[in-house]
Amino acid sequence: MTGEMIAFFILALVAICGGVFMIHSENVVHMVVSLIFTFLSIAGIYILLSAEFVAVVQVLIYSGAITIIMLFGIMLTKHDPKSEKRIAKSRILAVGTGVVAFFIIMFLAINKLSFKQQDVELYVHNVKKIGIELYSKYVIPFELTSILLLVALIGAVVLAKKDESEEMNEHE
Amino acid sequence: MIEHLLQSPPGWIHFLIFFCLGAILLAIVLGFVTYAILAERKVLGFMQIRIGPNRIGGRFGLLQTVADVFKLLIKEDIIPKLADRPLFILAPILAFAPSFLVLAVMPFSENVKFADIGVGLLYYIAVSGISAIGMLLGGWASNNKYSLLGGMRSAAQMISYEIPLVMSVIGVILFTGSLNLTDIVEGQKHVAYMFLSPIGFIVFFISSLAELSRTPFDLPEAESELVAGYHVEYSGFRWAFFMLAEYVYLFAMASLMTVLFLGGWNPIPFLGFIPGVIWFALKFSLIVFIMIWIRGTFPRIRADQLMEFAWKVLLPLALLNIFVSAAVKELFLK
Repeated sequence: MTGEMIAFFILALVAICGGVFMIHSENVVHMVVSLIFTFLSIAGIYILLSAEFVAVVQVLIYSGAITIIMLFGIMLTKHDPKSEKRIAKSRILAVGTGVVAFFIIMFLAINKLSFKQQDVELYVHNVKKIGIELYSKYVIPFELTSILLLVALIGAVVLAKKDESEEMNEHE
Repeated sequence: MIEHLLQSPPGWIHFLIFFCLGAILLAIVLGFVTYAILAERKVLGFMQIRIGPNRIGGRFGLLQTVADVFKLLIKEDIIPKLADRPLFILAPILAFAPSFLVLAVMPFSENVKFADIGVGLLYYIAVSGISAIGMLLGGWASNNKYSLLGGMRSAAQMISYEIPLVMSVIGVILFTGSLNLTDIVEGQKHVAYMFLSPIGFIVFFISSLAELSRTPFDLPEAESELVAGYHVEYSGFRWAFFMLAEYVYLFAMASLMTVLFLGGWNPIPFLGFIPGVIWFALKFSLIVFIMIWIRGTFPRIRADQLMEFAWKVLLPLALLNIFVSAAVKELFLK
């Protein structure tokens, strides 16, 4: 048992527990908190695979996004919903079979999967390598994504502006 | 020695060594926090023509903070009856832990550094973002509308100011061509980046004040106007944890600013005989002093002005800085 294995098991356990709690809990904020633990431990697993850049970006994007999700969760949901829903037996059965089928398919697929000879030095200067790949092979998708984000940003600004002018009209 | 330790198989001795190193850093940081609070009160007192703490621990009140912390620790630990208990307990931890985690990548001198990872700068930014979750969570878990509003206010401020903070650093990354903090310091052997990208430095300084929620951006707390914000319901050592996180961030942010813009441990020309750690400490103390100075002299700004300032002034300036930095690099540093 190496240190890496121990770290992997702890991280995997936290990730799975976070996922299970996320589905199980009824409170929006509790769900979001369990999601945080899942995302952070997945970032930890990336670090174990020597993919620091992906790990850090995972934390950067998801921790920011999670705060926003939490804000919306608090703002858009009722504070204490005590809804007891009865779930039909047949539905539980259907979901159960689905889960088992998914497990069998994934298990077989993973067992069959074989990676070719891996590039051993891939992790050295991985930020630089990702940068070079992005700006040489994948320039067009990269730029298209940035345009998409820009459109979303401008769209948000336009929507916010519109609200303001409509409010002004209402006041008049 | 660390390199050797990192590459050998794990064992309890390694664990012990790393644990001790971490504990030493924590002790240094706690020592800094203790005396930073005292220094803040002394400097503020000096600026407001009064004496400041002067009773406990001799003429200069050297044990004042120790006494304050002791008071907080022996206070009754109150958890409101209707609060969300597990999250109420988790929130201060989630706010404090990242503030100490970010110190792992900080190079204090050529030899005194912990983790030398390739994405050090990005790591700092990413991990420090987790604290905002802790604050929002604390505000929500208290089950009090004032603390919820306070939590919302802090989260909005943190997220808004993180953007100019990150954007203003891009100039430095352009000059160095690396995200590694040690490389960034090495790149400033001849001239500090503060002079190469002055706009970036100013934008970074202002947004770091907001990230640390210090005056003029201390709306998350605003002790004299709004109810204390997300930690209204907290008392005793849980409250102390939030405050501790704030001051450890002060330590981390001042170190980061020293590394990014003031040249880290690099000496001023002709004074190279003074060791690097001392240079680092001097530059670091200068930044901390300026931050206290600002607290003593600036009024607090309003919430809407705060948001407008981030999005309409700092963000365009940071974008301009990227452009100017690229031009400077192409024209003068080739």
